[in-house]
Amino acid sequence: MRWFLCLLVLAPFAYGDDLLPDERRSIARDPIYGQALYSLHAGEYDKALGFNYQLRKQGRKGYGKILDIHEATAQLGLGMSQHAQKQYKRLLSDSRVSFLPAPARAQAWFYMAKHFYNKGLWASALTAIRKVNSAHMAADLKDEYHFLATTLELFKGKPEKADKHILAINPDSKWAVYAYMNLAVSYTERDVHISKVEAVFNKALLLTSNTEKPEALADKINLMAGKFFYATGRGRSAIKHLKNVSLDGAYTPKALLTYGWALTEQWQYHDALQPWYMLKTNHSALNQDVQETLIAIPHLLEKLNAKVMALGAFDYATEQFDDIYRQLGESANRLNTGKFIEPLMKQQVPDRWGAFETVDLSLPNHPDQVYLKDVMSQGYFQGELKSLRDLHVMRAQLKFDMADLNAFEQMTKIRRDEYNIIKKEAQVSKHRAHLSNLKSRYKKLLTRIDIAFKNPDGSGLASEPEKDQLATFKDVSKQIGQLSKRSSLVESSYRDRLRRVEGVLKWTLSERYNERKKQVSQNLALLENKIRQANQQYKAAQFAYQVAPKTFKGFKNKIKTLNRTYQKQLTKLDRVYDKQREKVGSIVKVDIKKRQQRVMDYQLQARLAAARLFDETSNKQRIVTGEVRQ
Amino acid sequence: MKAIYSLASSLVLFVSLCISFSAYAADQAGLDAEIEELKAEVIELNRDLFDLEEQLLYPATTSFAVFVSMDAVPDFEIQAVKLNLDEQDVTSHIYRAEQVEALRRGGIQKIYAGNLKPGMHSLKAEIVGKDRDARPVKRMVVADFGKARSSKYLEVKISNNPNQNKPDFAIVEWK
Repeated sequence: MRWFLCLLVLAPFAYGDDLLPDERRSIARDPIYGQALYSLHAGEYDKALGFNYQLRKQGRKGYGKILDIHEATAQLGLGMSQHAQKQYKRLLSDSRVSFLPAPARAQAWFYMAKHFYNKGLWASALTAIRKVNSAHMAADLKDEYHFLATTLELFKGKPEKADKHILAINPDSKWAVYAYMNLAVSYTERDVHISKVEAVFNKALLLTSNTEKPEALADKINLMAGKFFYATGRGRSAIKHLKNVSLDGAYTPKALLTYGWALTEQWQYHDALQPWYMLKTNHSALNQDVQETLIAIPHLLEKLNAKVMALGAFDYATEQFDDIYRQLGESANRLNTGKFIEPLMKQQVPDRWGAFETVDLSLPNHPDQVYLKDVMSQGYFQGELKSLRDLHVMRAQLKFDMADLNAFEQMTKIRRDEYNIIKKEAQVSKHRAHLSNLKSRYKKLLTRIDIAFKNPDGSGLASEPEKDQLATFKDVSKQIGQLSKRSSLVESSYRDRLRRVEGVLKWTLSERYNERKKQVSQNLALLENKIRQANQQYKAAQFAYQVAPKTFKGFKNKIKTLNRTYQKQLTKLDRVYDKQREKVGSIVKVDIKKRQQRVMDYQLQARLAAARLFDETSNKQRIVTGEVRQ
Repeated sequence: MKAIYSLASSLVLFVSLCISFSAYAADQAGLDAEIEELKAEVIELNRDLFDLEEQLLYPATTSFAVFVSMDAVPDFEIQAVKLNLDEQDVTSHIYRAEQVEALRRGGIQKIYAGNLKPGMHSLKAEIVGKDRDARPVKRMVVADFGKARSSKYLEVKISNNPNQNKPDFAIVEWK
């Protein structure tokens, strides 16, 4: 009944958002912690680990052991299970309860159990799950906890203890279905009465409506039940379940094959042909169920006494097996020449990696597409392929980061050149000289303005002839004064004439004073503006001078060191990648060899049967001809 | 004599098989450990590069960043955020289901990092989401802020208003 356990990969892997207790940021507005929390819950584990390291560098004040739990969680998410395991063990082996809250402790044990379970270390998983204090489990994880406990108790512990857990699962939860499925498998292992097994399978079927993909799960349960009943010689029960498997699901080929066998067991040979023909026509010959059908159909035809048809079918099967053998050989060649795994790696999403990121196995328009889907759906191989994918993505990331580093180096070079230009051009001293020149001009101008505009009558603005005229007016006024001592008549007429002439000149001067004052104030404003601009330019040059060195200094060595480390890391990664690639390749090679061996066996059977049939039919013919002759 | 010889040869074969198998198993376990070690180193390297990038591209004097945070608001599910800085669209983000959950669980998302000159600036955040009945909700929040010669952090905050049972949207300055 061990074969049955291969169907027991029932528990979907945990998703990132479930991995942590629902705790808020303890320190308000701590951006790094907030970002770490965001990355963890959003499934960006590499970023989360990065933030975690940063927080640790800062002294992890106020966070307690929560950073350790976060780290272990992120490590689990990235597929670093050995690291996570160490971390969890260290956390949980500490006897001081106070540092770790009871819910977090319960959760840590739970995740450790789950990790061991997913890794296939069920005995360790059982030890861990038994340490979980269910009273402290988060409500949304309780059902999953009971499911895990049920499964582990059923297969590694005490099956009677499983009942307690199975009853604790909410029947509306998807975990109830998985638990009942595992219970059914356990019953089949323990030779429990068939009616009980059937009841449990039916119960599981009833509960599938609570799951995300009820049809697929119902198909799976029906196939499991069908295979079990067929293996225990209860063909009718098997047929009942297998009939319910849908015709376009992932379990169709296996269901059709087993259905055919179950009908054969019930002597319904004609009916058995139908599912097998359906399987043969609708699925690729690379599918192992189809291969079994290819050899089963002619045997069935022989049983139906359609010997000529059976002979034809054997011949057809032989041709098909030849073809399959050749195709498998070509797959092995492609594996060696880098045309199989490599295209698969190339199509992976560049920045998605880790334990929870599935490998994209679609490989459209590739001859190995069918084979891939078949072989790579095996759990163990998925794990190895994930590791290879992670290494591939990391390698691409390292190369991308190195390109970034080169860009940073260029940037610092450009900044240094800019700095040198600033230094060489002596912008600061140039602007300072220009500014002081403007300032002295301004000062001189002010002195000159002071002199020119000191007298509001405008005498300061008089030209040389006008100054002479003004001096002459003073002399004339003096002479008129002397003349007035001799005759009073002369004085008034001369004085009037002098005042008129003087008035004309002073009017001109006062007009000029106003006009020039306007002009001067405008010019002064322009000059002040120029000084302001020059001052700003001077300050900007000073700022650029001060700031310029800071923008590139200190990065050169850092970039160089990082570049060196990246180079080393890339070389190391390439080495590990090659090793892992070899491991994956050898798994595929062994699988291909096994498949080829199986095809060879089928072919041998087909050839022998064909030869026997040929003999039988020709003997019959000879006998018939002989009888006719007689 | 013949029996002893065959027994000895089969013993040697068995021992050599055991040794080769244990060596193979150790090699496989070693490879897994090597891969894990490599992952840890690559993550640490990435962190160093990130630090360098932050220092080089966003110096402390000009650095500016916008974060998004959301309380456990029962009546609102964020779908997208678009940021407009000084009348220019600078970034936008469409949230996946797990990212929404990450915000609900107390995470802060750094949605934008850049450089900004000292002076007055304006930030507009357009938040798109849906309410409990799956009706579309669109809100715009605006903040005018001053930037000195030191780093500046703003937070687009979605909080629960228990009085009105509605979400509150705001841009908060970190001081």
